[in-house]
Amino acid sequence: MRPTFDPFVIPFVAGMTFVLVYCIIGLIRIIFQLPKEDRRKFGRSLINPKSAWKNFKDLCSDCLFHVKIWKRKPLLGYMHSSIAFGWFMIIVIGHFETIAFSPLKDMQLPFFQKLTSNLYMPIFFRFFSEEASTLSAHIYAFLMDFFLMVIISGIVIAVVKKKKPRKVGLKRVTKFGFTEDMVRISLWTIFPIRFLAEASMANIGGGSFLTKFIGFDLLFGGHYNETLSYILWWAYSIDLAIFMTLLPFSRYMHIPAEALLILLRNAGLKTTEPRKGYAVAEIYSCPSCGLCIDVCPMSEVKENYRNTAVYFIRNIRRGRRRRDVKHKTEICLMCGKCIEVCPLGIESLDIKMAQRKKYYYKVKSNFSYLERLQDYKTTGQQAQSSPLDAHNSKILYFAGCMSHLTPKITLAMTKIFEQANENYEFIDKDGSICCGRPMMLTGKVDEAKALIEKNTEMIKNSGAKRLILSCPICYRVFKEEYNLEGIEILHHTQYINELIENEKISVDRSDKRYVYHDPCELGRAFGVYEEPRNIIDNIGLLTQGKSDKDLAVCCGGSIGSLAMTKEERDDITKNSIKDLTLNHPEEIVTACPLCLKTFARLSPIKVKDIAEIVEENLEINEELGIRN
Amino acid sequence: MIDFGFSISKSSHIQMDNVDLKLFNKLEALNPDISTCMACGLCTATCSAGNFTDASFRKIILMLQRGKDKEALEKVKKCMMCGKCILVCSRGINTRNILLSITRIYNEEDK
Amino acid sequence: MKEHNILIIGGGPAGMETAYQLKQLGLKPIIIERNDRLGGHLAQWDRLFPTSETAVGLLERLKENTKDIEVKLDSRITNIEKINGTFHVSLSTNKNFEVDAVVVCTGFELFNAERKQEYGYGIYDRVITNAELEDYFKTHDDKRVDEPRRIGFVHCVGSRDVKVNNTYCSKVCCATALKQACEIKDEFPDADVYCFYMDLRMFGKGYEDLYLRAQKDFDIKCVRGRVCEVSENIEGKLVIKAEDTLLGTPMKMTLDLLVLMCGMEKAKGVEEIQKMLNLESNNDGFIENSGSFVGINRTKGKGVFVAGACTSPKTLPDTIAEARSTAMEVFNYLIHNC
Repeated sequence: MRPTFDPFVIPFVAGMTFVLVYCIIGLIRIIFQLPKEDRRKFGRSLINPKSAWKNFKDLCSDCLFHVKIWKRKPLLGYMHSSIAFGWFMIIVIGHFETIAFSPLKDMQLPFFQKLTSNLYMPIFFRFFSEEASTLSAHIYAFLMDFFLMVIISGIVIAVVKKKKPRKVGLKRVTKFGFTEDMVRISLWTIFPIRFLAEASMANIGGGSFLTKFIGFDLLFGGHYNETLSYILWWAYSIDLAIFMTLLPFSRYMHIPAEALLILLRNAGLKTTEPRKGYAVAEIYSCPSCGLCIDVCPMSEVKENYRNTAVYFIRNIRRGRRRRDVKHKTEICLMCGKCIEVCPLGIESLDIKMAQRKKYYYKVKSNFSYLERLQDYKTTGQQAQSSPLDAHNSKILYFAGCMSHLTPKITLAMTKIFEQANENYEFIDKDGSICCGRPMMLTGKVDEAKALIEKNTEMIKNSGAKRLILSCPICYRVFKEEYNLEGIEILHHTQYINELIENEKISVDRSDKRYVYHDPCELGRAFGVYEEPRNIIDNIGLLTQGKSDKDLAVCCGGSIGSLAMTKEERDDITKNSIKDLTLNHPEEIVTACPLCLKTFARLSPIKVKDIAEIVEENLEINEELGIRN
Repeated sequence: MIDFGFSISKSSHIQMDNVDLKLFNKLEALNPDISTCMACGLCTATCSAGNFTDASFRKIILMLQRGKDKEALEKVKKCMMCGKCILVCSRGINTRNILLSITRIYNEEDK
Repeated sequence: MKEHNILIIGGGPAGMETAYQLKQLGLKPIIIERNDRLGGHLAQWDRLFPTSETAVGLLERLKENTKDIEVKLDSRITNIEKINGTFHVSLSTNKNFEVDAVVVCTGFELFNAERKQEYGYGIYDRVITNAELEDYFKTHDDKRVDEPRRIGFVHCVGSRDVKVNNTYCSKVCCATALKQACEIKDEFPDADVYCFYMDLRMFGKGYEDLYLRAQKDFDIKCVRGRVCEVSENIEGKLVIKAEDTLLGTPMKMTLDLLVLMCGMEKAKGVEEIQKMLNLESNNDGFIENSGSFVGINRTKGKGVFVAGACTSPKTLPDTIAEARSTAMEVFNYLIHNC
């Protein structure tokens, strides 16, 4: 008869208890920090069968199978799944095995002892069990060995990744401090030690191909050394205890936090405070995998890779170094590429936005001058008050501030409107007030509201049904923050594509080679990827850049960044141009006046807006005279 | 002294000797590019707010340098942060961030 | 002294004057010019500041001086190799010859105004460049210059502007603008002429007089402020936006004609010659010479000299003076080294 308890389990039990208590307290704190409305939402989503099903699906695909990493980097997907999923399976199968064959099965024990034994028994099962010869015991033993092998293979890849990141398709990996290194080493050693411990007494506890044949028979030569074995079991337990105790202070906290994040996200919650509630769940969910480092435009300059999302989140989590947090918050271009690749979909930009909102500005904006504006034509010097009247025209065209520095875009648009025989009104021909997005990006959300309200009022009064925008920055804020019920908001790429598809305009096709740059605020923010490509397909040949669509590199001009210097921006721009011109296009096409201006300064080839190339290739219908 | 029955109104000169540039120096330390302005006027000419008001980045910086903080802040308040001025600046000054820094460093109540 | 061949790259004023002086010193210069005529930008100009002398006068003088000199037009250099202190030169016309020294006189290119999209060159009909206006003065054949009532000149187009990566001053535009302003006012006496400047850099002999004349005799109005945006109104007139920086107020103005004073940039294709002769570029993109004082005519390549606007923007008097000093440098070099 094997013993049912041994002192070596104590470190593990202590570590495990600590982790459980820590997580429960953390969970309660997060729930408590949520705004009341969010808490209610969360509660409802847990009982709603529809969202519960989604929760279950997401938990399986993200926490267990890591579908997102598999999609981006299959090798890393395997590495991660083999360890996480393998471990999960060992715990599950281990529990079933314990239930089936536990030496405690028929024993009457006091409640507390029963509880703790349930905690340690499945983990150290081979120590307490006796080899059984039934078929099911063999199947269990085989499965346990199989998953142990899977985990060890994953650890091998992890070691390679750490030493030679390029072998697994990464340029840079996150750098860690002492605690993180300790946790990682303890994690890496858990399973090899478990294998040794189990193998060392496989003749008593049983085992399968890995522990018994490879381990006991080959490695230990078929001899059972009681002292060595006992030491190995102690080592295994202590190793687990180290891992468990340090887990809350390390990146491995993402294991429990991720599950909570999925539930909160599915309840429709968003970050409102940079260090409270939902944001905490996100911050603790960051596994510091560093996938965001290589994609971040800032990483192109070597010293700047520490401005990337993973380091930002780490700074926030540690709660110190306020200056670092501020710098990382304000230098970010807000292009959103890091979120695209994040296996956990952590919305670090929301945290940055929340953080920007926190910064205090002593001088408050004063937009009282907006009150005397009646329409976009009214300027300070020449007040000619004829309220904007577009009731007769169905379409409003709002070019935006930046487009006034790129007259080719606005002229191309007016020509396209004319050729399509559209009834339109160019509302900000003589300038306008800002759309509010740049102000929002500085964190001054309430102040941006004043601009938004004024624009809303003027656009609504016009009675138009459609609003065409040339600037993706405007487009985003109009879509997200404006309440323009009954007015369809389109970026000119979408609008021109529609005109071509409905054959309201026609364009000539040539062999000219173009490459398309996806502006962040149009592409990643709204997924407008196909419309511009469709337009270019009608005009010439579309070549591929190094990366496009959701992985397109920011042009470097983004007004999302507040603190970035001109030199840092130039480096990003040059790199982005290099990526775009990979396949030797003749012209770079984009759909944003800011991207256009930024690229035009440093590009060796011509940079044009999509409206320009459409206008250049328009089949002119002579019957339509020039109006306006 | 004999009282002639009238007083001399306050001098309209900028008394540079009395101007306290502590805050401006702080601003300059944070944004060294502020001193590279060559007063071409592009920022003011293109300014979205300048279309409707007397907002002018160029003037704001000059006024702060001459101790006219209060007047400068009145102009700062009208800025819509649209960033057009960064796009035109002949010297590549990060105008928008400087304006943000001003609203952090200076305080309306102080003056 | 034995007869030495010297290669002169570029047949503009700098190249022509250097060649003439070398010839006078008893040497044998050979001018290589990629165009089908000598004279460079000078040949396209009508009159010269500050005295409004005709460009043709100067050009004829330079040509007269070079009439006995070997000139290869329509030729490009395809290769230069230096072996034992002698340069072996190959031309696009398949000619090969040897020289003992090389003088680079590749000059400059006018800034392409289309790169400043907000000025609307190539978009709006009534926006023209300084070179085009000069051409109008020569030929009086440009439909865009059609009895303009109000004319604007924009200084510093493509100069002193990080947004086009040219941070230097092009030196000649201020005086050219005032010269052209006077000339167009002369042509259209009823027109109002405005110059939008940042600083009026009237540093040369007679420049300040030109400024005074422009104000006094021609009523040219100078506005201190850079033009930021140009658009077109319903009547097809140009609307410009600038700040009157002296008043501190933004202003708008309707114009019939806008002249962009395009600055100087490094010449196109000069990189190839730089590569052949191993010449570096300075921060402004022009060819780097050996220092700002005594080394102005030399480069770090032994036997390779420079003259004129290929090293930095220069006025014509500067160019001619430099061409003469370069000739002297070449002469001294040949005496001591060959």
